[in-house]
Amino acid sequence: MNDMTLEKAATVEFRGLRREFGPTVALDGLDLDVRPGELVALLGPSGCGKTTALRMLAGFEHPDSGEVLVDGQDVTEVPAHRRDAGMVFQSYSLFPHLSAVDNVAFGLRMRKVRTAERRARAAELLDLVGLGDKGERFPHQLSGGQQQRVAVARALINHPKVLLLDEPLGALDLKLRRQMQLELKRIQTEVGITFVHVTHDQEEAMTMADTVAVMNGGRVEQLGSPSDLYENPRTTFVANFLGTSNLIEAEVDTRSGDGIVLKAGGGKLLLPEARCSAPTTTGGKVLVGVRPEKISLTHADAAGDIPAGRNRITGKIAATSFIGVSTQYVVDSAVCPEFEVYVQNIDRDAKLAPGAEVVLHWNPAHTFGLHADQSLLAGTTGSAGVGTVDDEAAV
Amino acid sequence: MATATSEAPALAPAPATKPPRRRGRWTPYWLLLPGLLWLFVFFALPMVYQVSTSVQTGSLEEGYKVTWHFATYWNALADYWPQFLRSVLYAGSATVLCLLLGYPLAYLIAFRAGRWRNLIMILVIAPFFTSFLIRTLAWKTILADGGPVVGVLNSLHVLDVTSRLGITAGDRVLATPLAVVCGLTYNFLPFMILPLYTSLERIDGRLHEAAGDLYARPFTTFRKVTFPLSMPGVVSGTLLTFIPASGDYVNADLLGSTDTRMVGNVIQTQFLRILDYPTAAALSFILMAAILVMVTLYIRKSGTEDLV
Ligand SMILES: Nc1ncnc2c1ncn2[C@@H]1O[C@H](COP(=O)(O)OP(=O)(O)O)[C@@H](O)[C@H]1O
Ligand SMILES: [Mg+2]
Repeated sequence: MNDMTLEKAATVEFRGLRREFGPTVALDGLDLDVRPGELVALLGPSGCGKTTALRMLAGFEHPDSGEVLVDGQDVTEVPAHRRDAGMVFQSYSLFPHLSAVDNVAFGLRMRKVRTAERRARAAELLDLVGLGDKGERFPHQLSGGQQQRVAVARALINHPKVLLLDEPLGALDLKLRRQMQLELKRIQTEVGITFVHVTHDQEEAMTMADTVAVMNGGRVEQLGSPSDLYENPRTTFVANFLGTSNLIEAEVDTRSGDGIVLKAGGGKLLLPEARCSAPTTTGGKVLVGVRPEKISLTHADAAGDIPAGRNRITGKIAATSFIGVSTQYVVDSAVCPEFEVYVQNIDRDAKLAPGAEVVLHWNPAHTFGLHADQSLLAGTTGSAGVGTVDDEAAV
Repeated sequence: MATATSEAPALAPAPATKPPRRRGRWTPYWLLLPGLLWLFVFFALPMVYQVSTSVQTGSLEEGYKVTWHFATYWNALADYWPQFLRSVLYAGSATVLCLLLGYPLAYLIAFRAGRWRNLIMILVIAPFFTSFLIRTLAWKTILADGGPVVGVLNSLHVLDVTSRLGITAGDRVLATPLAVVCGLTYNFLPFMILPLYTSLERIDGRLHEAAGDLYARPFTTFRKVTFPLSMPGVVSGTLLTFIPASGDYVNADLLGSTDTRMVGNVIQTQFLRILDYPTAAALSFILMAAILVMVTLYIRKSGTEDLV
């Protein structure tokens, strides 16, 4: 197993990749740097160009302009069968006429490795993915999860410098998906090569990736570690696509120390300057965001107990839903029609029922500021999974 | 069923009569009946009739009687083995040619044709809109002595080579083995292309990418992935070409000469001109048995019994 560890981890760079399919712009100047040995997730709604980007890295697709670099070398013109990239396809694409072990050994056969060695190495990789005893089965005799593992083993056999995974878990049920997320992460740690993982599932990206590249409309919207992206989104798309954000339109009033005082509705909010990605000239507009779990909820009668120095907003509870570990409240307020608040179920206040007048308050440090000239609803996940033009028309 | 029920004391007492609710049980079999009847009338009966004819003796004037005269078979084989051999040879060559011509075309239609796919498919099938006979007669004109095809082949000295190989004669193409094989190839090509296309079209294009990703060059991908996966189409295409081609007599009749007669021509002559029914029946039976044996061996060898 040790012969496949490390040594070959590579950097990957996308430089201004552009690709059009007729009227569709699949990639619109994509730039991305991946560090060696890192698991990077390309995260974005369906149709944002994730697969196209991955296929360019594998060599199945050619950019109209821009270049792809692996380990600093321009591979844009290198055909797929000469690139050191292993691909795990969305539908697995195992060879139906070959057994699991022959599927895995295929890459070695192409490189004229002798039969005995070939089978030994294939068996070793099947062990790595936990299918040591299923080698003689054919793809149609394996479950979805098992086919998935065979596909991973097959892609790893030639010691690729980078493994590409296109929504590898999309076809699995929820429980298996969770299990495979950990499994893939383990395999990645074990073989130590660079993984580029495409997904539209933000939870999957957050769980697995060292770095997440949030994609939108054929370009990278923001790149960062999962927690960095979550805490410091720089666009409303990222704020909404990764988890949920409450966004408020506000106007810059004054400065106080390293904070900015904003006017929203009738009240004032404090925003740390460091967490604002928009210009803050007095009188200018800014979007203020706060995550639902950072907010506390107090009944208006007890408003006096709220410590000073916290950002406050008043409103009225429109709906509550109890989901076990927490309760989710939707609050109607003057500054934001549907403010979402998640409160942990520690001491539940029976007075916090629909119709109750409440004060929402949070530590100003948890506030972030965004540029005001973007849609509040970009990247919101509706039932279809993606924010669409219709959502924006409804603003 | 009734006995099984009475042996099981735990069950409620069995009703004296047969259990009801079983009326639908026979429906599937009734539905088979028309098909079985068809097979009986148009396959089993003619077979029996043919076998019985083949062992009759007599003459047209005195009438034929079943005398179990199996010697007809040996005589037929002894007299006509060259024609048998020729049938297998011509049909085999035509099948190979069909495969060589048809595979690239089927591949093109399945993977490269894009929006032209339907148009090309129609072009493949279009010849069926005119009669087999007319199309074969047209080949007579195409290959006619002194015609453009012969002229071109002659000026390229192709005919010198083929004549030395014995498949054309001098500067003629018509009335030679080459003409017959060309006619067979042309007439049965769609029967090769259609099954090939069907099996190629079912192959997921991502498999080609997957192979390429694992360092397979395009031709290796074809050899190790595409071709094995298209085997069902290859097998059924070659069978659909070889079987009817080996029994064909129209091509040999219209495009060939007395030196290119196939078994089909002999059977036709025996039945319709010489009126020697026993020999004709025996020849048909031998041809059928021979094809059956060859096909069985072939399917065994290509290991695709369950895929055809
Ligand atoms: N081969 C193609 N022909 C035409 N349009 C394509 C092709 N591949 C992708 N597209 C279009 O490009 C856009 C991006 O596609 P894709 O990269 O598959 O997105 P994702 O994987 O993020 O869902 C989509 O609008 C898609 O319809
Ligand atoms: Mg995709």
